[in-house]
Amino acid sequence: MLIVGAAFTLLPIYMGVLNSVKTEGEMLNGILSWPRHFAWSNYADAYRKIDFLRSLGNTAAVTAVGLAGIVLFAAMAGYKLSRTPGKLSGFLFSLFVLSMLIPFHSIMITLVRIAKNLAVQGSTVGLGLIYIGLGVSMAIFLYHGFVKSIPRDLDEAAVIDGCGEFRLFFSVILPLLLPVTATVAILNALWMWNDFLLPLLMLTDASSYTLLLSTNMLFGQYGNNDWSAILASLVLALLPVVVLYLLLQKYILNGIADGAIKG
Amino acid sequence: MIDRLRLKRHGILLAFVLPALLFYATFLLAPAFGGIWYSLTDWNGLNPLYAFVGLDNYAEALTEDPSFGHAVFFTLKYVLFMVVLQNALAILVAVLIESRAKTKAVFRTIFFMPNMLSMIIGGFMWMFVFTRVLPELAMRTGLTFLDRSWIGDPSFSFYAILIVSLWGGVGYLMVIYIAALQGVPSSLKEAAAIDGAGVWHTFRYITLPMIYPALTIGIFLTLNSSFKVFDAVFALTGGGPGRETQVIALNIFEEAFGFSNRYGYASAKAMILFLIVLVITIVQLRLMKRREVEA
Repeated sequence: MLIVGAAFTLLPIYMGVLNSVKTEGEMLNGILSWPRHFAWSNYADAYRKIDFLRSLGNTAAVTAVGLAGIVLFAAMAGYKLSRTPGKLSGFLFSLFVLSMLIPFHSIMITLVRIAKNLAVQGSTVGLGLIYIGLGVSMAIFLYHGFVKSIPRDLDEAAVIDGCGEFRLFFSVILPLLLPVTATVAILNALWMWNDFLLPLLMLTDASSYTLLLSTNMLFGQYGNNDWSAILASLVLALLPVVVLYLLLQKYILNGIADGAIKG
Repeated sequence: MIDRLRLKRHGILLAFVLPALLFYATFLLAPAFGGIWYSLTDWNGLNPLYAFVGLDNYAEALTEDPSFGHAVFFTLKYVLFMVVLQNALAILVAVLIESRAKTKAVFRTIFFMPNMLSMIIGGFMWMFVFTRVLPELAMRTGLTFLDRSWIGDPSFSFYAILIVSLWGGVGYLMVIYIAALQGVPSSLKEAAAIDGAGVWHTFRYITLPMIYPALTIGIFLTLNSSFKVFDAVFALTGGGPGRETQVIALNIFEEAFGFSNRYGYASAKAMILFLIVLVITIVQLRLMKRREVEA
């Protein structure tokens, strides 16, 4: 039963990869059969058509900006909110957490307007900044919970040693947050890397397209008639993620489990 | 003196929270409140002048808009199938994987893989399978039922969308259920086996109650994500043929960014979606948490 399930899971990926090295003519001879000669030119074609390096760079830039902001700002806020008793901090924490219930579709229309007004629409860095705003809530929630497990004595000892508030955070606390930072980073990187709708709304110029947008545009141009070009581009687009997954799967799977249970 | 200390503490708190709050307020809170306001207007997204129309948009969406009604109905049907199938399959896969010590890691890697990919990429790859691979498979094997118009015929494209969503979503829940299963003490299962309980009885009376909290999370996550389904439908059918497979998210998207540009009206639909998700998830959590305590 598991083997059937696994075969089903791998089917579209296997079929996609197998046929990405066939010409349209050879596909007509047999979708399921092994290619007689490898049409690597499909890849050269796709590489050019989706402007692979630039799209990859754009995706990486969006994810990097978003991730840096989410991790740093959420760690700061989550730590201090967790350490400070009182009404103000309770209010701020609920403000962040309650909004996790708001679905993206309920805000996207006005968000486009605001992004236009602030001139962050159209650029990869701008898109990264928007992800910070959308992503900090859940990250703060995770950091807030984790900080409780760090003994307060540590803070006090550092203060007695003459640490200021910010030095205490950056040189003592932040390194201790590493396990939860890994979870936050994995969850958010996956989300931003694979998100489609927000980039579709925000990136208006082909030069700033992410991998997904470039691939989608290719699809829009050729419909599902020219599969040999499209499949190669799909394989190119999924390659970075699959490689990363196979390298880091232990951390990724643990991160997902931790995030789901604590989130 | 005390006040000054308090003021200083508040100051430090704000210094740490402010950067996050700034981004959060600009890109989440402001659009959320803006959305509520625009949903009460006839704003078209461009014209700086617009009129306050009260609840007219809501009334129109709920009573005079067959395409929205269809999208709501289609989404509810999809959500129902997803909640049942996605959780059942994820639990099944998790139990099967946990029972095989040797090949555990390999299968976990495979089943989670689709989750790493965007549903846009996955959707396009599945489209290739539906439009090219399955017809040929049907021809070669004589399994003619495979040769359907998976994308073009609405009654089959519903299942096509379902298959792709399950393909992409089961792995995530599987990880959660595996974590929960690892928390079930093996002594309980052994005791049940000694008492003569079969596989099904052990699962039903030992395992399932023990992983009930994970089921609460699993159903919550499925409800939350499947009400908002967009990518899989966008990639596979684009909502077509016609508007047959249009889900709520796609309906809102087209209302705002398609030809009509009715931002105010689309905002009202978005608020309705928010309220539906809110009410259903709160009810689900309430009901299931209560049973968790009893179990």
